Amino acid sequence: MEQISQQLAARQPQWGLGRAGVRRDGRIPLRAPGQGRAVRLFFGACALLSAASLLYLWVDWPKLLSRAPNIGRSFVKLFTFDFTGFSATLSAFGESVSMTVLATIYSALLGILFGALMCRSLVKNHIAIGALSAVFTFVRAVPSVVWVLLVLVCLGFGPATGIVGLSVHSIAFFAKAYAQSFDDVGGDVVEALTAAGANRLQIFFRGILPAALSSIVAWFSLRVETNFSESTVLGMVGAGGIGFVISSNIQNYRYGRAGVAIVLVFLFAYLVETGFSKMKRAYLMDH
Amino acid sequence: MDHRIPVAGRREKRFYTLFFTVLLAFFTVATLLTQYNPFQLLFQGEAFWTFLTQDFLPPTLKDPAGILSAILTTVALAVSATSCALVLGFVAAVFASPRTSIFPRGAKVLRALVTLVRNIPSLIWAFILFSALGIGTGVAFVALTISSFAFMTRTFIEVIDELADSSLEALTAAGANFPQKVAHGVVPNCLLDFIEWYLYCMELNIRSSTIVGMVGGGGIGLVLFTYIKSFNYPAAAGIILIIAALVIAVDRLMAYTRQKVLNEA
Repeated sequence: MEQISQQLAARQPQWGLGRAGVRRDGRIPLRAPGQGRAVRLFFGACALLSAASLLYLWVDWPKLLSRAPNIGRSFVKLFTFDFTGFSATLSAFGESVSMTVLATIYSALLGILFGALMCRSLVKNHIAIGALSAVFTFVRAVPSVVWVLLVLVCLGFGPATGIVGLSVHSIAFFAKAYAQSFDDVGGDVVEALTAAGANRLQIFFRGILPAALSSIVAWFSLRVETNFSESTVLGMVGAGGIGFVISSNIQNYRYGRAGVAIVLVFLFAYLVETGFSKMKRAYLMDH
Repeated sequence: MDHRIPVAGRREKRFYTLFFTVLLAFFTVATLLTQYNPFQLLFQGEAFWTFLTQDFLPPTLKDPAGILSAILTTVALAVSATSCALVLGFVAAVFASPRTSIFPRGAKVLRALVTLVRNIPSLIWAFILFSALGIGTGVAFVALTISSFAFMTRTFIEVIDELADSSLEALTAAGANFPQKVAHGVVPNCLLDFIEWYLYCMELNIRSSTIVGMVGGGGIGLVLFTYIKSFNYPAAAGIILIIAALVIAVDRLMAYTRQKVLNEA
């Protein structure tokens, strides 16, 4: 036994800056994470898997490369903007933004409800919590475009399809995120309110919800970004919105019009991101 | 005068007031534009139910060999694109971060470019590339690589920017050049964060590669899209279950890897 542990000790490298740590050539080894066995193994496995994946895809690289100049040509065509039909593009853009906003708001409200039902300090029935979270895990695992396609079959074309389709995935997302935020509020808040004689509704609305407000807003703004990018995707699979303008114009070789729509998408996504982070920096950070 | 203790500070309160006012304005305009009424859906609940019970269930599975190869294509797309983006993203981040860059002006341009690419959804990139290069898995690979590259470059820049001043300063003071600073300053300090983001990006890309597959990239997404477009709903239900299982399995695997690699390192 002792022999084995001695052997193990001898094999273990001596890190640190003591005399024992100095290598024979006089250099001091660092304890860097990249030198761990697990990390090296990880990168080796990743490299191997990626090489195998590339081989499996069997991409015709010469053909792809020979067509590469087309990309440049496409971008030149996209950026020679063509503003004909701009009002139609603008109303499709408005539709996409509306779908994003409504889907996110309604699913955040439902997400708060389901999050409360999955909150451990409010609901003591662990089987019910487990069942709910299993359902939501499944819903989240299916990409939201798939949900939109299925809702499209039931409701037909129109903004309601986009809103409901986006909501399905978002509700599952919010339920999980908010349940986590509510659980994070901590036992002392719940305990204090229980001791004061509050019932569960009072505990939720007076204790948990105000304490979780900042993370509710943070998750909400994150999801607005995701839902906007999803809502632009919807048009490409057959629902309405700006995605339809982009895909149909590209398919009909009207690149200039598609370029205008893409710039609108970029501007909105950029404004949402920077606007929210600016607002947060202005009000929530300490000066 | 009541003696209530305010829950939030004044600045915080102003933030929430502003936030919810903006939200309410957007909500009103959006509802007017789309005429959307969620309570109307309750009356249409029957349509959902008949679709679900009569057309959709029970899920069936046709052509297991074809489905398996489609799954492999989707996974291979995600893995190869993520790894390729990791290498490109690392190189770009080292040049684009103001902390390490050797061309500060070029770094600004690079950061602007990454912002542009990142804020345009990956499916739009896929669509542009499909129209320029034709459809196929090769083009899907390029499209996924572009969007993951932008994602990774942004997160890697943030990781490098958060690096403590002292280590890079010490290296600069000791006369280290750019490659030395990267190899001995950035890599040892940021490697674990890079791995974390790489695994997260892998999870995202399994979903993205399914969706990019739908519009012409091949793989399991294309199989699903064909079934839905040809009204073969039971088969589509089977594929949806498979996609869900695949995504959950990959999430679990990534969580396991994260725990193993990051704890042992």
